[in-house]
Order: sequence, then C-alpha cells, then structure tokens
Amino acid sequence: MIAVLRGFLWLTGVWLAGETLVVLLDLPVSAGVVGMLLMTGLLMLRIGRLDDIAAAGQPLIGLLAMLIMPGVVGVFFIADDFAGQWLAVAVALVIGTLASVLTTLLLMRRCMPAEPAADAPQESLT
Amino acid sequence: MSDALIALREALLATPLSSTALTLAAYLAALWAVERLGRPSWCPAVLLAALLVAAILWGLSIDFADYRRGADWLMLLLGPATVALGVPLYQQLHHIRALWKPLALSLPPAAALASCYSLALAWALGASPEVLASLAPKSVTAPIALGIVEELGGSVPLLMGGLLITGVMATLAVRLLGPALGIRDHRILGFALGVNGHAVGTVRAFEMSPSAGAFASLGMSLTGILTALCLPLAWRLLGL
Repeated sequence: MIAVLRGFLWLTGVWLAGETLVVLLDLPVSAGVVGMLLMTGLLMLRIGRLDDIAAAGQPLIGLLAMLIMPGVVGVFFIADDFAGQWLAVAVALVIGTLASVLTTLLLMRRCMPAEPAADAPQESLT
Repeated sequence: MSDALIALREALLATPLSSTALTLAAYLAALWAVERLGRPSWCPAVLLAALLVAAILWGLSIDFADYRRGADWLMLLLGPATVALGVPLYQQLHHIRALWKPLALSLPPAAALASCYSLALAWALGASPEVLASLAPKSVTAPIALGIVEELGGSVPLLMGGLLITGVMATLAVRLLGPALGIRDHRILGFALGVNGHAVGTVRAFEMSPSAGAFASLGMSLTGILTALCLPLAWRLLGL
C-alpha cells in the first residue's frame, strides 16, 4: 500500500513538473503529455522505482475508460449546439477512419521487415 | 415536506460525491452488461455507462453542468493517469530500438493522415472551426486528446463522441481490410489498431495476441505524443 502511495506521489510530482514546464516555456502541449515523456525519460535514467510507479500506474491506466466517461456523457447534451453539422461529423469520422486505416496498413506492409519466425512472434509481452 | 426534499436535493447536488457514486455505479453496471452481451466490439462499456448516466440525469432532471462539476474531481485523476502511460511506453522501448526505421517512416504519415482525412472531409462538408478543432485529435487516446482539444479550442463532448466512433470504426476497418489486403502480421494489424483506434483498438489488439497488443499500445502512445506535439503547432501556423 505504501508502494502505491510512493508511486502516486511520483506520478503527481511528475505531472506538476510537466505543468511547470508548460507554464514556464509556454508550450502548446498538455501537462499530462509532457509528464508522460518526463516519466519515460526518468525511467530510462533509472530514476524512480519502476515497481512503485507501476503499482500506482497500472490501476490508473486500467481505469482510464471510467475517468473519461463523464466527458462522454456530455455528447448526449450537445445535439442542438451542432445542429446541421452532424452529417459532416459522421462522414468525417466513418470515411476518414476507414481511409486512415487503409493507409496505415499499406504503409506498414511496405515498411515493415518480415517477421523473424513465421507465425511465431518472437517478442514476448512485457 | 417538499421543502425538505428540495433542500436535500440541493445538499446532495452540492457534494461531488454524488457524481462520483453515479459514475462508479453506471460504469460497474455497464461492465456487467457488456460482459453479459459477450463483449461486442461495437459497444464499449464506456458508451453504455455514459448512456446510463445521461438517462439518469435526464430522468431526475439534473443539469449536466451540475453533474460535470462533481465529476471533475474524478477526472482530476486523468493527469497522473496520463503520466502513468509513460511506464508502458518505457517497457516498449526495445520495440522502438529494434524497428525504429519502419516506425519512423510509417508513423508520422499515418498519424498525420488519421487527422487530415477527417479534417478535409469535415471542412468540405462545411463544418465550423469549433467542430474541426474537436475532430482533429480523433485518433489520439482520450487523456492526451483532451489536452489537445483544450489547446485548439474544440468541444470536449464532441471530441469524446468522435473518439468512441473512431475507435469502433478502426476496429471494424482493420478486421475487414486486414484479410482483404492479405496482411497476417500481427505486428502490423496491432500497430494499425493502435494508431487509428487508440484505446478501443488496443483492447481489441490484446484480444488478438500479445504481440498485436504490444504494437497497438506502442502505436497508440507514439501517435498520441506526435499529435500532441505537432497538431497545436500546425493549428497556430494555419491561423485557425
């Protein structure tokens, strides 16, 4: 339990560091993203205990869907705000996503080297 | 009597714990229902939970703004949760080192086009600048996309709806187009799911195989970072 607290303090502290950078340097990026990059950088430098941070981070990542849910609720209350634009929104989302998936697949098929061993992926889940 | 009830209602609406309880209850109920339905990929638990909350708010005629004010306390956790995404990214670094060349070649155009196709279509159909700003980060995982949309001045609820539809569509598209193009490499399928379908696609990729899941979460994080760094800058340069 103390490990979770230590990890949560790391996550909060790194977020605050991210916010500090965003404010001081007037970055057009959210504090969370800067914090995420800082976190990765710190771990690469072996600063901070991975066990502690993972103990607090894993449950938070698992709960991401629930944390954004209140934002999703809002979509049912804005129908009038964007009247007349729903066709544009629907086409952009449906056709746009189909097109971008197609592009990604074609690009990756072009760029990706063949798998080391056919049908037996070497990379294990980390 | 009714005065006492009104006072009670006021008191309950004033505390953020009501919104918290409602959110937790709806989410757990949605998880249970989705499990019962056999986890259909077209209906993520978040969508069902959001519908439940919306129905309850409407039924009790509670203002969305009141609910949102309480739920903001819960959404505060998104900050540390976004920072926590740095941990899986750190654990995926060996993939980046091993495959940096194909990733560097395919990720930037893939991530940029995921945004540009939709922007072009929406713009051509006459969408307002606010709608465009809300749709631009539609392939980015929600905690990062929220930050982007605040920078661009879009609508958070519209973004959220767009994210859900994008995730579901990307999952469908990979399932249809993958076999049609003869792609069986789970690394490619997973990557496409993560780049285009953010968290919804990544969940689907982990159902396919651990390798697909690893590449999906890699694609999701890299798309998120790249979009978060470039989109607000591009937006400023375009003067939108």
